[in-house]
Amino acid sequence: MKKTNNFSAKENAEKPFKDKACKAGTLFSKPLSALTVAIAALTGSVLTTNPVYAAFNIPTDLPASPLTINGKTAAPFSAKMVMFEEFGVKNYQDLTGEVPAMPQLPPVAGGCDSMPNGADLDSFLSQTLFPLPTKQANENTNAYDPAHPEDDDHYLENAWEQKVEDCYPSLGDIHSNTEGRPTGEFFEHQRYEDFPSKGYFQTAMTGARTNGGLRDLNQRHQYSKGEFAPGGLYYIDANGDGIPGTKGVDIKMHPNLPAQDPHKVWTFDGTLPPKLLMARYGETLLFRHYNALPIDEAANGGFGLHTISTHEHNGHNPAESDGFAGAFFYPGQYYDYHWPMVLAGHDSVNIGATDPWAGAPNDDGGNTLVRGDWRETMSTHWFHDHMVDFTAQNVYKGNAAMMNYYSAIDRGREPATVTEAQGNGTSPSGHRADGWGCNYANPASPNLCLPSGSNLDWGNRDYDVNLLVADKAWDKAGQLKFNIFNTDGFLGDHMTVNWIYKPYMEVRKRKYRFRILNGSVSRIMKIAIVDSAGNKLKYHMIGNDGNLMEYAIPFPNTESPEALPQQSIAERYDIIVDFSQPIIGNVYFVNIQEHTNGRGPSKVIPLASILSGAYKADYKNGDPAVGKFLELRLKGCGANGTSACTDLSMNPADYEPGKKNLVVRPKFTTEELKTAKHRSFEFVRVVTTDNKPWAIKTDGGLGLNADMSSVSAAPQSTGPEGSVEIWHIKSNAGWLHPVHVHFEEGQILYRDGKTPPSWEKYARKDMYRVGGPGPLPDLSQRVDMAIRVREFAGTYVEHCHNTQHEDHAMLLRWDSMHPGQTIPLPSPELGWEGVTYNQTSTLPSYLTGDTKAAKDFIIPPQ
Amino acid sequence: MKKHNVVRYLQGKIYGCLLICVMFALGACPTWAAPKDSPWGGDYFPNIELTDQDGKKHKFYDGLIKDKVVAINFIYTHCGDSCPVETANLKRVYALLEDRMGKDIFFYSISIDPKHDTPRVLKEYSERFKVGHGWTFLTGKKADTILLRKKLGLYNSEGEKKLSDHNTNFIIGNDNSGRWVKKTPYDEPMTLAWALGYSLSKNKIMPGGKHAKYTDAKPLPNINKAEEMFRYRCSSCHSLGRGSGLGPGLYGVTLQRDRTWLKRWIKEPDKMLAEKDPIAIDLYNRYNKVLMPNLRLNDSDVEALIDYLDSTANPNRHAH
Repeated sequence: MKKTNNFSAKENAEKPFKDKACKAGTLFSKPLSALTVAIAALTGSVLTTNPVYAAFNIPTDLPASPLTINGKTAAPFSAKMVMFEEFGVKNYQDLTGEVPAMPQLPPVAGGCDSMPNGADLDSFLSQTLFPLPTKQANENTNAYDPAHPEDDDHYLENAWEQKVEDCYPSLGDIHSNTEGRPTGEFFEHQRYEDFPSKGYFQTAMTGARTNGGLRDLNQRHQYSKGEFAPGGLYYIDANGDGIPGTKGVDIKMHPNLPAQDPHKVWTFDGTLPPKLLMARYGETLLFRHYNALPIDEAANGGFGLHTISTHEHNGHNPAESDGFAGAFFYPGQYYDYHWPMVLAGHDSVNIGATDPWAGAPNDDGGNTLVRGDWRETMSTHWFHDHMVDFTAQNVYKGNAAMMNYYSAIDRGREPATVTEAQGNGTSPSGHRADGWGCNYANPASPNLCLPSGSNLDWGNRDYDVNLLVADKAWDKAGQLKFNIFNTDGFLGDHMTVNWIYKPYMEVRKRKYRFRILNGSVSRIMKIAIVDSAGNKLKYHMIGNDGNLMEYAIPFPNTESPEALPQQSIAERYDIIVDFSQPIIGNVYFVNIQEHTNGRGPSKVIPLASILSGAYKADYKNGDPAVGKFLELRLKGCGANGTSACTDLSMNPADYEPGKKNLVVRPKFTTEELKTAKHRSFEFVRVVTTDNKPWAIKTDGGLGLNADMSSVSAAPQSTGPEGSVEIWHIKSNAGWLHPVHVHFEEGQILYRDGKTPPSWEKYARKDMYRVGGPGPLPDLSQRVDMAIRVREFAGTYVEHCHNTQHEDHAMLLRWDSMHPGQTIPLPSPELGWEGVTYNQTSTLPSYLTGDTKAAKDFIIPPQ
Repeated sequence: MKKHNVVRYLQGKIYGCLLICVMFALGACPTWAAPKDSPWGGDYFPNIELTDQDGKKHKFYDGLIKDKVVAINFIYTHCGDSCPVETANLKRVYALLEDRMGKDIFFYSISIDPKHDTPRVLKEYSERFKVGHGWTFLTGKKADTILLRKKLGLYNSEGEKKLSDHNTNFIIGNDNSGRWVKKTPYDEPMTLAWALGYSLSKNKIMPGGKHAKYTDAKPLPNINKAEEMFRYRCSSCHSLGRGSGLGPGLYGVTLQRDRTWLKRWIKEPDKMLAEKDPIAIDLYNRYNKVLMPNLRLNDSDVEALIDYLDSTANPNRHAH
């Protein structure tokens, strides 16, 4: 049976699981085993007669993922979608100076290949932060005295140090710090005194387990308000003990698929639902991330690496807390990320904090005003792993969370009454709740009153729903699977939303905001929204890459008649859909873009041929991930879901181009653009001696691969207003490269020399799709964008966010430099015992940029 | 030099490593306590038969990969451009890891042109590159090596019409941990040495960055474009001094050679060799028949490089 002259990953890749499969097989009598095979054949799991390199190499170099396992079938739209679970931010003031009486240390796993017991981990994570955070990485060496636990300068070694020595005898005697952040001045928290922490949360990255209810009491809705309350659409009592919460939720992609093995899926807390951070401007956060992954790097289920780095995607954060790919930490260690939560422009705009539009909810119907430029307000972020060479595997494995920013304009609160909409509501403490007032009712009110809910002062999620869309693949046993060797890109064959295979969700007949994140490895989607009769719904895009746009763009439109625009990996689109419009049956989200491999999409499939079944998404004739992937079932309001719904949220049609602004886009002056430094980044095939598509040419230089110790660009601020630059991002590769720039968002000036489409013209972006296989809508070979770098310094990166390309070294390092700083930071090289700093080198143009591009560029009118 | 600290630490490791290796040899040292959990083992990799430059036969998985830290690339010996660059760069990595080569770290260069690359040809090729122990050149059946390349993700998925279309990336990995990472011929040798000698090998390394301060950071030389080119494209074979590497040291080369000749030699060495230019042939013979690769440089790149070479040998002249 074994073919050796024909590449067939199907046959061989599955063998490690043969033992398990055989054990499972013994549960059945022999005749039943034959039946199992027949079922498997019917469900498409046996495609072994087809070569892997067929027209559709999906899932990439793997056999099809079976939907029937052990006689149970996961049918589309039969599993309920899970809602994100909040981390729960706690008050930092409560813990200052306070050390737990009996501090727990991170629980140690029993074996080198295992992870801590879930209950022990929950108990540990429930205590306050110990040890207290420090400005520079904690490397205290004083002996811990149990008689004086109040001393905060204990010798705090990595609590797993002994275990590490046991597991890796070749390491000998090691001294591993409790904090894995690179030590010393280079990675100390910038402006730590300027931005004292106000909130904190901690979690551990660890293997899949049953949710122990760790965060059940930290949900803002407390399972007692709105749709999260008993009788609401999202009420959950997972273990049926009468106490609401997610305690008892397993990591299953469908109730009929098996729970994931702890080596296969690694998530925050090791649990589902996926996690959400609800953050507010001005509430500086201290995020302690423990690494509770196996000490033995081989215990990864075939993909993923046990050292991690956490990137807050598009955060205006100092570099040491940005999740630099080279600043990773080891099992047993933590890394303290310090996220100031400031508006860009903090140092130069609205420095008196008097602008009522620059603020954040104060828990009592009003706003706490903050410094900075309100036009820079951000909304929908995510944070995810950024481990050098292993980002694709780790993110695919589950190292991804979403993060909603709440602000004066995007408060997550719609009015319950017309009085509230007018700004005359009454806050919990009896004050006038002007923060609840709506911009549509009173132009002096900053709150846009986007669809959300009205039970909480801010952050209502009843009608404001995070959707993490990603394609996945799994093996015969239903365990998550990945091919690490194919660096063209990795595609799964099944679409998931919030980790659930083709789920359904119940919605009210009213307006909703969806925050859609493409969390795939290499799949670029295009999402259409239709009803059961195939009618396209009307909806608006209000946010692009997590930033509210200047205007709400109605869809479908002449520029994009069938669906939302191309949505590459990491792009976020916030949309508002009104389910009170005429709808026949259910509503479906449909992926209409086809891939044949992971290099980039091949074509957009006409919606009609998908809905009619003319397009066969059967692996042979079509991409299995094309088609409907989310079903929305309509319900009215009231106890029986029969009444009409009260909906006083804003009407996006009032904010279409030419009407009211959602936000005003921050502008660059013509002078700034004229004097801007230009840089060019070409995502290319190397043209020196070979032609392989994973290199970047900076400023017309050589095609190079990632080198963490080499700086390709270093914008230098000369004052608080920062450095304005124009970056030219290009591709000639034929493959599609969704390029991500860390730290600062940009504005697209041109796409292939033309004004970008409306959803980009009015947007601030952190993702810039370039290249692609040919005539696809809304793609281009070139993007010219303007960017302003300010407030923080240090080492950041820019890379292709097809993470298989990124890990194959399509990444460059750029540094933001302080005024007066003349050399870039030394480069960290990390081991179990800490950091070695190596000398950094630079490309010749790292300060000057691309002077030729500057000469040729025509500044668009501002 | 970049990454001087790492060099020092890796070199400092030699004695400790020797000790560990001796312990391994005596069977006294516990093996890495890695319970095998990787699907990328003997069941995944084809156990094809390959023949080395000495005519010895090996099973790919059982003989070459199992329990080892390895770097694998695919070459053909009459390849003019990419293979010499790749081999030259790997040679620099080799030099950094020399004391561990053949003990716990192994390099394999596998021919994709078995018809031409007989063991004898490979032997001669390895001698040309002055390759030592722990680096094996291998050949096997064409279909087998294609299968192997596909399994390693190193087959050119866009099609391979001629040998020079082959995927020039290579892969480093550790069978014990199932950790495999693709690299390119242009990666920093030090980065690769770190990955092979430390990250993949689970070796101890002493930290050197405690209490690091910004004021201690060393200023950077302000390098120009020609220096960049030299560093990334030339330095694997040539030094700026008199000492030879795979190619001649370039001290004073602009005084020794006519500028027009030098310009063409840098730009299209393949053509000059084909035309049997006497100096080119002489260099080819003197430097072990290692081909000077065509790096696809344009005229201004070449001019800048020559100016740079000129300025390094003549401090009074300045690159312009």
